[in-house]
Amino acid sequence: MALFSELRRRNVLKVALLYSLASLLIIWLVGGALISIGAPEWANEFVLLVLVIGFPVALIFAWAYEITPSGLKKSLDVDQTQSIVYKTGQKLNAAVSVLAVLGVLALVGQQLMPTFEFPKIIEPILLAPVYEVPENENVPQEIRAYTFDNGLRIIVWPDHDIPNVVMYNFVRAGGRNEYPGITGLSHFFEHMMFNGTARRKQGEFDETMEAAGGANNAYTSKDLTVYQDWFPRSALASIFDLEADRLENLAIDPAVVESERGVVYSERRTGYDNDNFGRLYLEMNATAFSAHPYQFPVIGWASDIENWTQEDLEAYFRTYYAPNNLTMVFTGDVTPEEIFELGEQYFGGISAQAPPQAIRTVEPEQLGERRLLIEVESPTPLLHVTFHAGSATDPTTQAMNVLLNLLVGGESSRLHRLFVEEEQIALAVGGFQMEGFDPGLVYFYLTLPPDADVAAVEGRLLDELEKIASEGVSPAELEKARNIMIADYWRGLATIDGKASALGNAEVFLGDYQRAFSLPDELAAISAEQVRQVAATAFDRRKMTVGVLRSPAEEDSQ
Amino acid sequence: MTSSRLRLALTLLFASAAVFGDGVTLPASERVVLENGTVLILNENHNVPLIGLEAVVRGGATADPGDKHGLASLLANLLVKGANERSSAEFAEAVASVGGQMNASARLESLSISAGFMSKDAALMVELVADALQRPTLDRGEFEKLRDRSINLIKSAKGSDPNELMPSYANAFLFGDHPYGNPVDGSESSLARIAHDDLLAYYADMVGGDRLVIAVSGDFEIVAMRDALTAAFNDWRAATGTPPQIVAPERSASSRVYLIDKPGATQSYFTIGNVGVARSFSGRAELDLANTVFGGRFTSMLMTQLRTKSGLSYSARSRLSRYSQSGSVFVSSFTETGTTVEAVDVALATLGRLRDGGLDAAMIDSSRNYIMGQFPPRLETAAQLAGIFAMLEINGLDAAYINDYGSSLSAATPESIAPVIDQVYPASDNLVFIVLGDADSIREQVAQYGPVTEISISEPRFHP
Repeated sequence: MALFSELRRRNVLKVALLYSLASLLIIWLVGGALISIGAPEWANEFVLLVLVIGFPVALIFAWAYEITPSGLKKSLDVDQTQSIVYKTGQKLNAAVSVLAVLGVLALVGQQLMPTFEFPKIIEPILLAPVYEVPENENVPQEIRAYTFDNGLRIIVWPDHDIPNVVMYNFVRAGGRNEYPGITGLSHFFEHMMFNGTARRKQGEFDETMEAAGGANNAYTSKDLTVYQDWFPRSALASIFDLEADRLENLAIDPAVVESERGVVYSERRTGYDNDNFGRLYLEMNATAFSAHPYQFPVIGWASDIENWTQEDLEAYFRTYYAPNNLTMVFTGDVTPEEIFELGEQYFGGISAQAPPQAIRTVEPEQLGERRLLIEVESPTPLLHVTFHAGSATDPTTQAMNVLLNLLVGGESSRLHRLFVEEEQIALAVGGFQMEGFDPGLVYFYLTLPPDADVAAVEGRLLDELEKIASEGVSPAELEKARNIMIADYWRGLATIDGKASALGNAEVFLGDYQRAFSLPDELAAISAEQVRQVAATAFDRRKMTVGVLRSPAEEDSQ
Repeated sequence: MTSSRLRLALTLLFASAAVFGDGVTLPASERVVLENGTVLILNENHNVPLIGLEAVVRGGATADPGDKHGLASLLANLLVKGANERSSAEFAEAVASVGGQMNASARLESLSISAGFMSKDAALMVELVADALQRPTLDRGEFEKLRDRSINLIKSAKGSDPNELMPSYANAFLFGDHPYGNPVDGSESSLARIAHDDLLAYYADMVGGDRLVIAVSGDFEIVAMRDALTAAFNDWRAATGTPPQIVAPERSASSRVYLIDKPGATQSYFTIGNVGVARSFSGRAELDLANTVFGGRFTSMLMTQLRTKSGLSYSARSRLSRYSQSGSVFVSSFTETGTTVEAVDVALATLGRLRDGGLDAAMIDSSRNYIMGQFPPRLETAAQLAGIFAMLEINGLDAAYINDYGSSLSAATPESIAPVIDQVYPASDNLVFIVLGDADSIREQVAQYGPVTEISISEPRFHP
């Protein structure tokens, strides 16, 4: 009992009570706060551990020391007649009472005001966004996708082989969204996206990116405008800042617009006006399509480049550069979590816009062949031939790719062997299909020798196309085309750039990034008869456009 | 969100140190010298089921005799047009039927075959490369067909984007009769002078196991690949001729102009420069830093002046070509015919500012970050790695060329860069100008830059 009364005298019991009450309050207040800021679970355990360790320390301290008017002293050094432990005890009583009242008030408060509960604050953590995981087992399982509230969709494929990252931003705006007067505007806008914001003057976007080790480019097609950044991982935050800034704060400075017209005109002169292939290509599209906006050159008609207005540009930006019209892909040395967090932080505040108007015009069926001739100085004649084909999602599109591969895919292809190597009626032959949102073209292009009989070469081409439509393809040819396409598919996936491109194009054109991985299965399912059938359907002379570019005939130039 | 943002910031900080501190490290490789002198370099990596192979023979277009430019290039292309038992068509079929790729080409100082195959087809790849190099058919009919087609493709290129042909005109005018002036793919007239016997003689004299390097990278077992390549190449004969002995060319001591007339062109294309430096140049890091700032990236001084600020052109750049004994330094751009002189003057003023002002510390930082940030993707695929390994070996360089590059860039200062700029970039009184455009519109104007030599684009040659 002597020990007990001594414990009481030295206020050890009161300190124990005070310590316990204070600890409970600390655990209650600090613990909730830690959870709410997303600290890991061990943070709470750490606080508890400190308090537990502190308990005996506080008791020993209370036993061994006394508070005296001249400060803290060891109990043994205090003259017991001068001891003020009783007064200290009274202060401790008061402190215990205050803490007890506070505790009761807090408990009552917690009951009365449930909205004040800390669990409210931690709710976003408990209900963290659920990122989409691949459903198909053929798809690399580390890929994640997420659509933010404002409609922005981001797909991430981590790959840590090199310390670099690739970003593709697919904007659903291209030549098909234009009309006479603003042809070329999508492409011009691609240029303007590098030319300054409310925060950054012209040139600063690129200066900042390059100083952080990044490089960029962009391209515009008939369907899309696509922005690409290639950068070291260390530039990640800076890239998000730059990309968000130009989406949120783009400045369309009229002086810069005038200067940029000159740049784009120079690009047009280089790729089209002074390049015979480009010159014929533009006219082929303008002839093969009579109604659908695929007829417009992506670079724009020269008069439109010279004349589009500030209002055209501002309306275009508002309509198409909204988060709900974008799909971004990140591949490389990143984690999905950090990309989605940065995405929320930088793009989350950008508002969605009304979706752009759908393209209503459907190209009417072509009912007879169309021909065009361009007469300019040309050392060798060019022959281009097109037929109408499907969109990217058309069920025959992959069969058409197989067909094109065995017709013009490389040195062993049918048309190369026949026209270039055996008959020597062409210097080069190639082809592609458009694979866009809307039905497009399958396009053949031939470079002919200087003295070629252009009509005869056209006849030979049509013979071979009809032959494949009637006689079909051999199993060996089909197998070869498949092997080439599978090997190309692997070569594409060997770089983080190829990965970003593959995911994004599948997502945008086919509606699901997972389609990027279905090529091997799709190819395996294509039969020789399907390939013959697609040739028979597509190579219809009534749906053909033939274009020739050659020097003016001699009688004309006299 | 706060604490994870902090975590993010910390990891970004560490990542940054990793990239800019260590630079890029070339993966390990095994080097084997065969009895005949052929060097094999093997690097195994299993990221994707592909193999890249680069076979390089020293020599190239600098070994083209006198006026027969394009011979090495024709030979390279014929190596894969029939070999051993396979005809031209069968050879192409063998490559394509398994989804393989095989390209042969010549450069100024080498002739090479690049092959890319799925890993399951490794044995076929080795067989085809060995056949192409050691047992090419070199059929006379295939040769004549390829020569005539090559001539016509040059004619055709004269109706396409002139940027493609500018390097041929520029090298021909700058280096003249020096082997570095040889158009690698020949000209219409030089190709026409080449006979089948020339081709056979070049093959016997200049192509053989003693001057061959084969680098392979990708998804294979190193022992198996080494054994297969050793068996395939160990006994190949040596070439009989002496490799080209190249003397470093002299710099052009005064300014001169080469005007290529393309009537009706709505744009003028220009290249300005002089003789540059060799691959072994000791100030490589300083020069790369300077050229990146001057004309090697989007925000370069040239792009800023000719595109961003003035709208005169879509593109402007400066390019350094570095060969074994020397090289070239060229500024190039293009502009509407009416602004030819204005654009050339802007390019000259920008060159003057580089020479007078040099690079400050901020420019060096930005340039170094850009070079190092863009470097890892150049060593990403098996084909790229095979190319790098072969390039190092052919030029007598080792892994330090890649591995120490980052630290050399970090060590550069404004003071170490200034003398390199002064040495490499020509002063305004000894510039060589090559201008292609509508001569009637610009002839008198370009005469202000120096004595003019004019040629029509329809002439079948690149040399004056």
